[in-house]
Amino acid sequence: MKKFSLHPLTWWIWSLAIAISVARVNSPIFAIAAVGVMGIIIITQREDAPWGKSFTWTLKVAAWILFFRSAIGVLIGVPIPGTTIFSLPIMPLPHWMPGIRIGGAVTLERLSSALSEGVIICAIIVVFGAAASLTSPHRLLRVLPIYIYEFGVAVVIATSVLPQLVTSVGRIRQAQRLRGQKAKGFSSYKRVAIPLLEESLARSLELAAAMDSRGYAFSRKRSRYRPILWTSRDTAIVLSGVLVIALT
Amino acid sequence: MIKFSNVSLVYPNSTTTVLENLNLEITEGELVLVIGPTGSGKSSLLRLINGLVPHHTGGILAGDVSVNGLSTREVKPGGLAHLIGIVGQNPMNGFVADIVEEELAFAMEALNLPNETMRKRIEEALDFMSLTTLRTRAIATLSGGEQQRVAIASALVMHPKVLVLDEPTSALDPIAAEEVLSILQRLVHDLSITVVIAEHKLERVIGFADRIVYINGDGRTEVGTAAEIMKTSPIAPPIVHLARVLALDNAGLSVRDMRRNTQELRESISISPSNHIAPSTIPVIEIKQLSVTYGSKPALNSITATIFDNEIVAVMGRNGAGKSSLLTSIAGVGSSEVGSIRIHSLDSKKLTGKSRRETIGYIPQEPSDLLYAQSVAKECEQADKDSEIEAGTTFELLNQLVPGISLRTHPRDLSEGQRLGLALSIVLSSNPKVLVLDEPTRGLDYEAKKMLTQILIGFAQSFNRAVVIATHDVELVAELATRVIFLADGDIVADGPTVDVLLSSPAFAPQISKVMSPVPWLTVRDVIAALGQKT
Repeated sequence: MKKFSLHPLTWWIWSLAIAISVARVNSPIFAIAAVGVMGIIIITQREDAPWGKSFTWTLKVAAWILFFRSAIGVLIGVPIPGTTIFSLPIMPLPHWMPGIRIGGAVTLERLSSALSEGVIICAIIVVFGAAASLTSPHRLLRVLPIYIYEFGVAVVIATSVLPQLVTSVGRIRQAQRLRGQKAKGFSSYKRVAIPLLEESLARSLELAAAMDSRGYAFSRKRSRYRPILWTSRDTAIVLSGVLVIALT
Repeated sequence: MIKFSNVSLVYPNSTTTVLENLNLEITEGELVLVIGPTGSGKSSLLRLINGLVPHHTGGILAGDVSVNGLSTREVKPGGLAHLIGIVGQNPMNGFVADIVEEELAFAMEALNLPNETMRKRIEEALDFMSLTTLRTRAIATLSGGEQQRVAIASALVMHPKVLVLDEPTSALDPIAAEEVLSILQRLVHDLSITVVIAEHKLERVIGFADRIVYINGDGRTEVGTAAEIMKTSPIAPPIVHLARVLALDNAGLSVRDMRRNTQELRESISISPSNHIAPSTIPVIEIKQLSVTYGSKPALNSITATIFDNEIVAVMGRNGAGKSSLLTSIAGVGSSEVGSIRIHSLDSKKLTGKSRRETIGYIPQEPSDLLYAQSVAKECEQADKDSEIEAGTTFELLNQLVPGISLRTHPRDLSEGQRLGLALSIVLSSNPKVLVLDEPTRGLDYEAKKMLTQILIGFAQSFNRAVVIATHDVELVAELATRVIFLADGDIVADGPTVDVLLSSPAFAPQISKVMSPVPWLTVRDVIAALGQKT
């Protein structure tokens, strides 16, 4: 499928619309459907650029959040009566914490409510992750108004340095593997995280310095060499997003 | 144009002063070269010019830096954007747009220049830097040399009076470096732009420099013409070392001057010393019909080569010739490859854990990728445990390689050379059968390179190991390698003893060989050895 050249805000607005609908409908099935639609858009529309590769990581992060959210939802919280699947030992809590229980019977209802809440939260994360992956952060910076300078710098750093870090993760893991360390599993994260954090900090500072020395935000007004135009295609996509909100 | 008056600089939490009472006036159209050991403050000096130091980095600045009458005390870096173009060490990290044209427009858009001016200036800059064919390309897909040119072009569109470049050729192959430097030369001569460069590879730039600022690292600085500084400077290109060895005064800094001065010497020598050691016949790495492709792009086309015991093989070639692909394939972490690689008849892909450490040692382009502990001590402990050797052995090794590193230091606070030393001692603690290094000399000064040369030669000879090193640094190859494999577009175009391969290509010939040609000497050491034989 042909890749459309869209306004950098289009996918962000669309994702926002989808996220609102997911929150409004509050149904895990709708949330999963939204993730599926996003996946299809990503596969057909993403560019072969560093930020295009960040979607898999969004999915991984979402999966972790879903796991922890469900685990905590099952362990801690208000008991919901229903069919008991299995029972966990109850941890005694002081009497001034009424209504909260750690452990206890795990009912089918409790498990499913924890899961469905988790799915909805994750779907919203995935929807925004998809927008980040579909839009070039550099183009996004160009359309942001100048008076939100600090915000603009933060956005560029978050959206341009972080996806590049996905490439760095690969490189560092490869190096660690060559040192004969295991590159999979939880303990490897620490080994990757430290060189990664170091690099991301250094890079962010370097980018900020480069933008500053080139006069970014020095003038209150900015001219456009090649204006980014809002086309009818952008309007169509945004309208479809609004329609989704209206229908749900 | 640029005026440093009584400038002193101290960074917070640091006990040493970077600069002390520096007085320097750079006039219009001058090309000034900043040299000094790694970590001595070359970058700081460059960043003082447009006020990034101290506005961005913090630190205490005494005295005053002014450019064209504007003091950096009063004006922030953004306010000097129309006056100063600054190109960082790694231009990729400073790019703010995806497409070449947009990158060029960025600074002009920020200063709200009218559209017609922008169009005109972008055309000019594209023409001047020969980038017209690349104007709509994505920056990420360009080669290192092209990226460097884009970075310079995007500074030039502002019509700056001053251009500041931090190690503009460190990542480039000799040919691309030559291109970039001749462009700078043209800027100085045709447009009278003031250029300030920091560079380690003096042999590449010294011919262009009007003046040199030598930074010692303890605050002291020396300023003078290239010839003045080179009389005493410990940092000097091979040609100057040669002049010192031959006790030639005023020998000049170019190959031409040096040849005139050494004519007699060359004619008096007829013997060509043959220091060829018969290569060992025990194969260590056997590469058979190796092909690697990235997407639809071939990186290596059916390469066959055998590397023997005791050999130090330099893999050379232009940026993007397939050097890294070959190295990662040897190390067994390459992707989408056809063909076979055997190291002592083991498949390097299937190695894990201890057996991997004992077979292949690999130093990546960023040695810090290997390091993750919070201190040198912990890093060494981990290596001892991994290699199952007595506690303290790795640190002892590190102390031999790079003396004077404190155990408590955080690996991040080490200098480039020390960090490479630490990574090397960790890898060498397992005593691997093969050592692979991917461009280890980026940002290393001559001292650190000398250390690296000694370590690698010692390792290869005393343990009969094979070393494979990818590098752009011809002088390092001349000092170090016994054999050179030359890659171009994924094919081996030359493979043989260092002397033969290096001398056959003028762009890749080291300085000494250019001076001494047709006598096949590559390094100052060769000359000393041969002269010693004669007398």
